[in-house]
Amino acid sequence: MKDNFSETGKIGTRRNWFLLLMGLGYLCSIFTPGFASMHGQAMAQQITVSGVVTDASSGESLPGVSVFLRGTNTGGVTDINGRYTINAGSAADVLVFSFVGYDTQEILVGNQRTLNVALEPSVTALDEIVVIGYGTQRRGDITGSVSSVGQDDFQRGSVRDAAQLIQGRTAGLRVGVTSGDPTASAQISLRGITTLRGDASPLVIIDGVPGSLSTVAPEDIEAIDILKDGAAAAIYGTRGTNGVILITTRRAKKDVSTIEFSSYLGIQSIASQLEFLDAEDYRRLIGEGYGFIDHGYSTDWLSEVTRGNPVNHTHNLLLQGASGNSDYTASLNYRSWEGLFAKSDNNVMTLRLDANHSMFNDKLRLNMNMISRNQEFWTGGDGYSFNTYVYRQALIRNPTDRPMDDDGNWIERDIYFYDNPSAYLQETDGLNERRNLRMAGSAIFTPIKDLNMKLLVSRSANTELRGFAQTKRHVSTTKYGRNGFASRGTSASEDFLGEFTTDYRFELGDHRFTALGGYSFQERMWEGFWMQNWDFPTDLYTYNNMGAGDALTRGEAPISSNKSSSRLIGFFGRVNYNYKDKYLLMASLRREGSSRFGADHQWGTFPSVSAGWRISHEPFMQDRFGEILDNLMLRLGYGVTGIEPSSPYLSLTTLSYGDRFFYQGEWIQGLAPGQNPNPNLRWEQKEEVNLGLEFSLFNHRIGASFDVYRRYTTDMLWNFTVPVPPFLYGSMLANVGEVENYGFEAFLTFVPVRTRDFQWKTNMSYSTNTNTLVTLSDDTFQTDYDFFYDGHTGEPVQEYTHRIEIGGPIGNFWGYKSVDIDDNGRWIIEKPDGTRVPMDQTTPDDKQILGNGIPNHVVSWNHQFSYKRFDLDVSMRGAFGYQILNFTRLYYENPRVTQYNMLKSAFDDVYGKRVLNNDLALVSHYIENGDYWKIDNIALGYNFNVQSISAISSARVYVAAQNFITITGYKGIDPEVNFSGLSPGSDHRDKYPTTRTVTLGVNVRF
Amino acid sequence: MRKLRIIISSFLVLIPLVFTPSCTDLEETMYSGLAAQDFQATADDLASLLGPVYVPMRAMMMGWQGYFDVMEEPADIVVTPARPNGWYDGGTYHRMHRHEWTFTQWQPTNLWNNCWRIINTANRVIYQIETDDIPLEGQIRSKTLAELRGVRAWAYYILVDSHGNVPIATDFSDPDPPLQYTRQEVFNFVESELLAVLPDMEEEVSTATYGRFTKWSAHMTLAKLYLNAQVYTGTPRWNDVVPHVDAVINSGKFILEPNYKTSFLTENSGSGEIIWSVPYDDVLATQWSQHMKTLNPNHRLVLNMEAQPWGGSCGVPPFIDTYDEDDTRKADTWIMGPQYNYTTGELVLTYDNYLPSMGGDYGPLATMENGYRLGKYEIRVGARSSMSNDFVIFRYADALMMKAEALLRSGNAEGAATLVTQVRERAFRDNPAKAVVTGAELLEGSSYNYGWYLEGQVINPEGGDDIQYGRFLDELGWEFALEARRRQDLIRFGVFHTKTWMNHNPTNLTKAIFPIPEAAMLTNPNLQQNPGY
Repeated sequence: MKDNFSETGKIGTRRNWFLLLMGLGYLCSIFTPGFASMHGQAMAQQITVSGVVTDASSGESLPGVSVFLRGTNTGGVTDINGRYTINAGSAADVLVFSFVGYDTQEILVGNQRTLNVALEPSVTALDEIVVIGYGTQRRGDITGSVSSVGQDDFQRGSVRDAAQLIQGRTAGLRVGVTSGDPTASAQISLRGITTLRGDASPLVIIDGVPGSLSTVAPEDIEAIDILKDGAAAAIYGTRGTNGVILITTRRAKKDVSTIEFSSYLGIQSIASQLEFLDAEDYRRLIGEGYGFIDHGYSTDWLSEVTRGNPVNHTHNLLLQGASGNSDYTASLNYRSWEGLFAKSDNNVMTLRLDANHSMFNDKLRLNMNMISRNQEFWTGGDGYSFNTYVYRQALIRNPTDRPMDDDGNWIERDIYFYDNPSAYLQETDGLNERRNLRMAGSAIFTPIKDLNMKLLVSRSANTELRGFAQTKRHVSTTKYGRNGFASRGTSASEDFLGEFTTDYRFELGDHRFTALGGYSFQERMWEGFWMQNWDFPTDLYTYNNMGAGDALTRGEAPISSNKSSSRLIGFFGRVNYNYKDKYLLMASLRREGSSRFGADHQWGTFPSVSAGWRISHEPFMQDRFGEILDNLMLRLGYGVTGIEPSSPYLSLTTLSYGDRFFYQGEWIQGLAPGQNPNPNLRWEQKEEVNLGLEFSLFNHRIGASFDVYRRYTTDMLWNFTVPVPPFLYGSMLANVGEVENYGFEAFLTFVPVRTRDFQWKTNMSYSTNTNTLVTLSDDTFQTDYDFFYDGHTGEPVQEYTHRIEIGGPIGNFWGYKSVDIDDNGRWIIEKPDGTRVPMDQTTPDDKQILGNGIPNHVVSWNHQFSYKRFDLDVSMRGAFGYQILNFTRLYYENPRVTQYNMLKSAFDDVYGKRVLNNDLALVSHYIENGDYWKIDNIALGYNFNVQSISAISSARVYVAAQNFITITGYKGIDPEVNFSGLSPGSDHRDKYPTTRTVTLGVNVRF
Repeated sequence: MRKLRIIISSFLVLIPLVFTPSCTDLEETMYSGLAAQDFQATADDLASLLGPVYVPMRAMMMGWQGYFDVMEEPADIVVTPARPNGWYDGGTYHRMHRHEWTFTQWQPTNLWNNCWRIINTANRVIYQIETDDIPLEGQIRSKTLAELRGVRAWAYYILVDSHGNVPIATDFSDPDPPLQYTRQEVFNFVESELLAVLPDMEEEVSTATYGRFTKWSAHMTLAKLYLNAQVYTGTPRWNDVVPHVDAVINSGKFILEPNYKTSFLTENSGSGEIIWSVPYDDVLATQWSQHMKTLNPNHRLVLNMEAQPWGGSCGVPPFIDTYDEDDTRKADTWIMGPQYNYTTGELVLTYDNYLPSMGGDYGPLATMENGYRLGKYEIRVGARSSMSNDFVIFRYADALMMKAEALLRSGNAEGAATLVTQVRERAFRDNPAKAVVTGAELLEGSSYNYGWYLEGQVINPEGGDDIQYGRFLDELGWEFALEARRRQDLIRFGVFHTKTWMNHNPTNLTKAIFPIPEAAMLTNPNLQQNPGY
């Protein structure tokens, strides 16, 4: 199995390419005759059918409804009175009635000549079912800030994980792909930075069980719901602060059996190319007196370590069946993605089985599901995929040098941190294998109508086995004498979840109630084992025979193992109240305990309450605006959520054996306390108030929702600096900080054009967030610090990049503000007081805030066009009001460091005056505005006419481009850089470059 | 109402869970860690418990930005100029060289932190022994307590020297941040502690006591304390130096090794000259990074090293120029001239006794080959990123030289000259006449050509003639160069704040102690910053 896996992944990609193209050609040739024949068919028919189309709820006639014969272009739209007339070919034809906002109906012509149809308003409105914590809710009942994105609105093309499906589809949740590594997942953040030391990733729940955004394949997802505010997320207690993402996988519909096959193939190219000096530039500059060395060759080092056009292909096969009391869904997903760099790849196979059965008149419903995910990727190091050190070496390698000498030996030069990138890559081999097996089962017992008792049990096991080796031709041997090096490690984690919930719905007149109570028990365990060895007799073992090396025997090589566990227990309840859909109320409470907290603080309480007023349902609004107003609602919510500390045992006094001590001729291990214990350690607590307004007009052709929120984190975890003595160590984790975020989000939807042939839907989102670190002290822990540093340039510059000040926002860049250059090519620095001095006369007090790495404004604008059988999606995104520290320019735009290659722009005049002649230094010259607007995704699809092929119910092909066009003034590869953590906006020099992808896909349903 | 009963009971099912202990059990289970509550020490654990008192000394002495840098970077023998591969590092070496540090400077901060790790751990183990948490009896108990108090006093002596006015903490159970004391008070504390524990201290010198703080280390620490008493307290204590060094000299347990290099070899633990050292091992007890900081990256080829150095630091040319041409200690201390490939014999690089400047803002950038490199401690063929040489804190030659200085300053120049000559003899084996120093010579000034140095030239030379006992300072330089002590010697001879060398201008005496580090100032409200900062 494993060998086949990597075969297709690495060697077979070109072959697959052709197979897919041939397949597409074949599909086209099948469909074309049917496509051409429909005109002929229109001539031959004789049956005329007519009727009136009405709204099933109001009984009013509906103009503009499209009526056509299934599988053809024959048909028209209803007139102003809802009337239509259509010529059918035979009694076996099926009429399709479709209208935006209503469920499509299909009716067999048969003997009927008059067909009056009542269309049901579709459930995209108030009755739409939305997944919330521990259950579902009518859209109309929701009082929190919840975004739902369905399959139709997902991003199309080469999508990495669930997060990228909803990129730009919801306000306030920012999703970005900041690395081109094929194993990297999309980066996400919700409503600003609320934590300094806690985990900042959202809680992801897949079909009721915690997991990650990559637990299921994107192609296997039906819908994604995001609980954004505290009121909605509070039911998840200590894990809800960063929002909750609820993923619903695809499930069989009643009495339908289908097979669906979808497949796509993508080709990547680097998003934009950095212009480094080539061999000719070197020779020219040597002539001009620069101290470069000419080795006499000409090498494009980047092309030595990259693939020409990396290919990714993804295939998904879905089987669904439902009959009687049972249904099942099975899906098999295979993804094989190549990276931009040679060897870099990612291969994932996911199998999901989901079976449902109901018994005793639906009184007992059972579900069993299993997800098995196998991932394999090449690795150039311990636990990660591609080693981007190779990328750095390719950039800075002398272009007049060559990879190998005439004898086939790699050429190495003895320069500091300077290794032959080709050798580094080619003399390394490795593989990471990750297996995830998730089994879950649930039983819902409904003793009486609307009362459900549910038991859910799941167990998720992850294992990783990894290894990598460097041959004796790698610098680990040729420079550092290791004589062959290998590393091997494994890790395993297990997550057990048991949950019992009871819910009941009842009505008293116009008063509707829902009540939920539940208990949840979660136990998590982690284990790891890791070793290195070197001094091997041969390269042939790679990492597969660790004992063959001698370094471990000599006590030089490391070996280690570890194991830890933690528990989370919660009791929770929720009550919903609805009066005539006008007045809505929701209240929830979670009492939760975590073993990670101090003994006196293990249990916490997380309440929430929210209310909604649907103004549109008030008589005074109905009277005046009933015609145009579908919905107008005001929401107000308050909720408390938390964040756990990132690892267990932090509250305890621990001892550890460690550093050795020379005792009577032997090196024995010392035993010392491992940390400052904090028995008062508890969760971070975030209170959030959210005020929302949403409305929809003109039969949902215009919709909008606006939210303003304030999130206030207290008891924020921070490594507080403490005096030594009395403390053992200089810092301890304590709940001391407070941080505030407030912001505004808007989401607008329009359907500007809605005709039979042409439809245009569009939506826009906007969000802004303001962040302030309020304090880092409390009653016990007082600090005189009003700032701390984060982010570091690394050598040789050795400076912090960010400074976080109390009272200021997270993400500020900190350093010298360069404003000019003197006659010698040295920086002129502007001090905070406005005076200008040469760089050598500055002191650290002259540093100042140089910008901020977090965008003030995040905008997206998406379009969906459909014209007859074509559809076109265009997604655009932008971020404004932020800065990026361009590390590439900081390190490679300096003509003095001639031992390494550099950007061509190093020889441009600075401030229009002269070429730079300063040592490497972190100055504001390298901090650029990051504002960008991306036409991120364009997808053009065509739905074939499959009427003549009874076996196929639909077939679609599409071509898509991702990260297509970026409009920006930023000089680096891609302005979408890391936006999370405490040093956002850093575009590191070793970052795996992001790519542009063109995708060709096909989707067939049988 | 059956329906209502069903509904109510279906929710009530949850309630028993609240009261079932296993359903609310949040006890943490440790697997690969050790919870303090599960551990009870016995006398057998003594070695493991003592270890953490000594372990910080490795990072402290020859670790990155450690004690070596604190004592040598601000002085006139070693500099770390900016080079093409970096070594500007935000100006940290320039600040050390020019005495422009602030309370955020890493090197003195690291020293502070390491001293407190030692003191704090010693306090903890003393507390554990005194409360019988670690059950020890009889002589083991008294010797262990004496050793712990001795090590702790030594760490306070380091702090008296570096930071002056520091807090004193002795009780581990005290929950409050300690109070600050004057330099005089801390001096008194170190003195009284050492004198108090001397009778109980270990006298044996053998493998069993190697690397440990013994009675002889205590005598040497006291001698150092008295030698510098005038600096620390304003009152000279020259006469108090002599009995303590005499105790060491007369013990018969130490010798002047015939070969100067013996005490600095990779396997130097057998040296009879070493009184106290910090043991290192390049596999088991690492953190020696000083050789990485000095050697040119290509030096890897010269020694077939298993690591690529990043160097770095080198000698100040006017100091190198002070050596007598026949003084073998020059070659034993510095890596000079052409260096050849270990395997092929080809020339790899040539170190020259020349620097353009400190670089950065002071003049041209040094090349990768400028400056003699620091080679006192042998860097073995095949060296790794850490070394196995033990770092010598006290050695016998220092006992002799401390006595000589005390005699010299007390008016007995001839007595001093005899001792200095004794130390010099092994350095002039081929030319014994040159070993002899007279009392008159020791009263002369220094031969160091002080003054601003640029591109191989001393501009505006100041010379060293005006330095009292300057010749003796030169002797200390030649004998003890690169032993992490020059800062202390320069201060005692009044040179530290008065002279110009390399790209360092005279500052003022407030720089003779470092500022209390930022983190300490901000976390302990009892602290007042040292004057001048």
